Amino acid sequence: MEFTDFVAARGRALYRYGYVLTGNAEDAADLTQEALMRLGDAWPRVRKREDPEGYVRTTMARLHISVWRRLHRERLVATVPEAAYTDDRLGDDVGLWNELKRLPPKQRAVLVLRYYEDLSDQEIADLLGVSRGTVRSQAARALDKLRIRAAALEGERV
Amino acid sequence: MGDRDEEALVRTLTGAARSAPEPVEDLVVTIGRRRRRRRRVRAQSVLAVAGMVAVVGGMAVVRDTLPNRGGEGVSMTQAAPSGDAAEETGQPFQNGPGGVGGTEKPARIDVRPAEEVWPAAVSTIPVRAADGYRYRPVTGLSATKLLLSAESSFEKAGRLEVYDTADRSSTVLTTMPDTGVKGYFAGRFEVGSDYVAWWGGTPNDPDEWADFWVVPRSGGVARRVGEVTGDLSKVTRLAVTSDFLLWSVSGGGVYRMPLGGGTPERLGGTDGLHLLSWPLAVDVGDGEGDGGRRNQTRMVDLETGRTTEVSVPEGGDGFRCGPVWCFGQRGDAMVVQRPDGSDRRLLPGFGAGRGVVDRFGVMRAPFSEEPDAYVPLLTVYDAATGLAAGISRSRGGGSYGMGISSSPSSIIYWDAGKRSVEECEKVDARRLPRPSGAAVPTGEVTECTGREVGGGKEFTVVNLLAVPSTK
Repeated sequence: MEFTDFVAARGRALYRYGYVLTGNAEDAADLTQEALMRLGDAWPRVRKREDPEGYVRTTMARLHISVWRRLHRERLVATVPEAAYTDDRLGDDVGLWNELKRLPPKQRAVLVLRYYEDLSDQEIADLLGVSRGTVRSQAARALDKLRIRAAALEGERV
Repeated sequence: MGDRDEEALVRTLTGAARSAPEPVEDLVVTIGRRRRRRRRVRAQSVLAVAGMVAVVGGMAVVRDTLPNRGGEGVSMTQAAPSGDAAEETGQPFQNGPGGVGGTEKPARIDVRPAEEVWPAAVSTIPVRAADGYRYRPVTGLSATKLLLSAESSFEKAGRLEVYDTADRSSTVLTTMPDTGVKGYFAGRFEVGSDYVAWWGGTPNDPDEWADFWVVPRSGGVARRVGEVTGDLSKVTRLAVTSDFLLWSVSGGGVYRMPLGGGTPERLGGTDGLHLLSWPLAVDVGDGEGDGGRRNQTRMVDLETGRTTEVSVPEGGDGFRCGPVWCFGQRGDAMVVQRPDGSDRRLLPGFGAGRGVVDRFGVMRAPFSEEPDAYVPLLTVYDAATGLAAGISRSRGGGSYGMGISSSPSSIIYWDAGKRSVEECEKVDARRLPRPSGAAVPTGEVTECTGREVGGGKEFTVVNLLAVPSTK
């Protein structure tokens, strides 16, 4: 498979992932592009491992919480006019979505990886290069801020 | 403590992903532009490693051409071009098999899965050998025999095997020699009439060095032919005859060395030429010429010295020829023609040529909005019969590989067991993001998200050597 085919086939899905990670369209496009550029550079190697999608998603998560992203975000954050149709389609969940957007990047990344990507805490820890304890404390803090009951699930996570 | 549950979080994130506003720019376009821009800046440094990029890019698809010589009595080559081609100027596009009658009423080309179109050419092979070595197809040796590289680890060829698709068994052709060189990788393999040859080097090393190996087609112990350094080691393609090993280098030029070893010798008149498949050389190398968009304009038979100019239609893009057929882009259609421009036909909606393998053009099929339509990841179009066969499937994100022979490989393969688990839902089209000022759409559309699962057991392999040359 050629790189362009991959972008054509998976670009939209990756962008959507970028959207939940970053919370806005502009950053999502930016993040997706940057990660895809890196994938493009590494394509011969990554394709061989046959998981280019995993590579991009990992890159996106790491970029998102990296200093580079944070600096970049601050520059962009003032110009986020979008909302209407997203909010419109989210119905009652729109409040939660808006609160998610206000979380620090690392906390939101942990939640997205756990609840959108469905990764275990250990996988999240490996992916972000932090300890599992950090993942748990970040998640707990974020859930607490969002007033979400973490129920019994928390104890069962691997 | 909280008044929400985790379910709400899952729902919110999934919902937000689905309803993400449309990105302002098309990703394929943007990424393509950014990469082109950067490529220009990097062109210099990339050239330095181009030779071994081909090694690491084993599954990479190259925009280029040619036949597989040395098959066991199965020839992929059709009759030679007629030579008395009609003048191209003002000539309407001609009818052809599966083609179209003129540019105004394009015919629909039916693309069905390769398994249905060419059942005799499609087989499955295990992804791994019994000892766990991972197979990487090289090319077809005949209609039923495939040359496979068995790799001990990532791209480390451990041995060459011949796989028989008829009795589904494999025999070892040779064990890859241990060169004792750190970071050594074998490059692409080439099947000649008497020998299988390959080159190797240390792609991740700044050293400019490569060596060449041959093993008889009947099998045995591999023998090192010689080694080269400097510009001569930037091998792009290889050929092997009964007496010589030949290779082209990054930037153009063809060299040869006797199979018994000796001093490399540059073939006269090969400036700017790249081997395609012996004895043909062409004037566009892999990855050269504006990301593959430059047209191939010249083919030279290195045995006879005969040069064939390619008659590219006006507006043609990325034309690549095999010995008999050329494929290229023109507008939103693929053009198929003979090098002299005769027998030209249009394949509307097809595009993004991925290479020419003898009489076959590999390209992208037209996209279909129909949710249930079969859209392959790639289409192989047979210029001789006009049949088009689909490779893998694009819905749900498939992938494919092409064999790692030096000459364009007759093998295209994919892992059919690998599936994208999709979660689809019908949504009201009115709720989708749309450009401001655009009309409000009606009805429902399907939106899907997915990820890859499964696979890793079998490759589905299309061996173009086994495709019948008549319908």
